[in-house]
Amino acid sequence: MTHCIWIHYARPRPHWYGLDEATQLALKRNWDEIRALSEREGAERIGSYHIRGNHDFETVEIWRFVTPEAAFEHWVKLTGERYNEWFAYANNIGFTTTS
Amino acid sequence: MSLIPGATSVFSDDQIAEGCVLVFLAKDVRDGALSYTRADADRIAGVLEEFHSEGWKLSVRAMFEPDGPDQAAVFATGFAFGADLAGVFEAPTISAALQGSVRLERAGWNRRFATEWLIGPRELAVVKGIGPDIDRPWGLLAFWEWNDARTAATPDERRDNDRDCDIAFQNDLNSNINMTGRHRLDWAHSWHHLSIWEATSPSLIDKVMYEHERVLDFRFATSRHIIGRRTPLIELLKP
Repeated sequence: MTHCIWIHYARPRPHWYGLDEATQLALKRNWDEIRALSEREGAERIGSYHIRGNHDFETVEIWRFVTPEAAFEHWVKLTGERYNEWFAYANNIGFTTTS
Repeated sequence: MSLIPGATSVFSDDQIAEGCVLVFLAKDVRDGALSYTRADADRIAGVLEEFHSEGWKLSVRAMFEPDGPDQAAVFATGFAFGADLAGVFEAPTISAALQGSVRLERAGWNRRFATEWLIGPRELAVVKGIGPDIDRPWGLLAFWEWNDARTAATPDERRDNDRDCDIAFQNDLNSNINMTGRHRLDWAHSWHHLSIWEATSPSLIDKVMYEHERVLDFRFATSRHIIGRRTPLIELLKP
C-alpha cells in the first residue's frame, strides 16, 4: 500500500523565546491535540528528533500519512492554530518508493 | 487574525481549491555518460499528453487562457539563475501533482534534468492585467515566506501591510501584467507561497518592483524572484 512520508523541520522563531513557560506549554498542548487528531484519523507519527547539533533547524518530526492530501490537511490544522507564527520550518513530502 | 491574508481588493478566492501546481526548477544534466535519448524524449512527451488528457494545464499561459491550445511551456531562466528553467503545470489534485513528478522521472526526466519539485494547491484566482491582450513573453516566479517580522506583528500591522501591498499589485495590473493569484507551498517546502506574472519585459518587472519596495512588501515577505523567457518545453526536450 502506498504511503507518504511527511518530513517537518522546525525551530522556534525569535519571539517564541520571549514567551513565559506557561504560555509555551499551553500553545504546545494545543498543537499536540492536533497531532493526536491526525493519528486518530490514520496517520502515524514516527517521531521527533533533535538535530540542532548538525542542522539549521532544531528538530525534525517524521510522519506517515496515507495520502499527501492528509499531510496537507494536517499542516492546515497546525497553521490554523498559528503554529507557523511561532516556529520557522521546512517541510517535505514523498511517496513510498516502488522498484 | 490569520497570518495569511485571504481575499483582498485585488485577489479573489473564487478559484480556491481548483488545481494544484507542480513547479519544477531544473538544471540540464546531459552528458555523454547519462545518455538522454530520443526514446526518453518521446516517453516524456507521452506523459505530457497523458497529463493534458487528464485535465492538467501545461503552462502558466493556460491558467489565463484555459480554452486555448495549451502548448507545454516553461521559462528559460539560466541566464540569471542557478536553474536553467522554471516550469509550472497545474494538476487537478495534490496527489495527481505529486504522482506527476514520479511519472515524469520514470519516463527519463532525470537523464535530462536535475530537478527541484514544489507542489502547491491554489488559493487565489488569476487576475488579468488591464489593457489589450498583448504578448507577454517574460515570466516572474515570486516565491515568498511570511517572515519573523510578519509573524511577530499585530493584526492591525498585518492588515495595514496587506492594504499597502494591494497598492503595488494594482500598479502591476495597471502596467498590464497578468498575475496567477497565489498557490500554497508551505505544507511541503520552506517557501510559503508562489505567484507568477506574465509581463512584456524584464525592465517592466524591474520598474514595478520599486513600488513593492516602496510599500514595504519585503518587510513582511522574504522573497525569491526568478525571471525567464517563455519557451516551448518540446524544444528543450530534444536530445
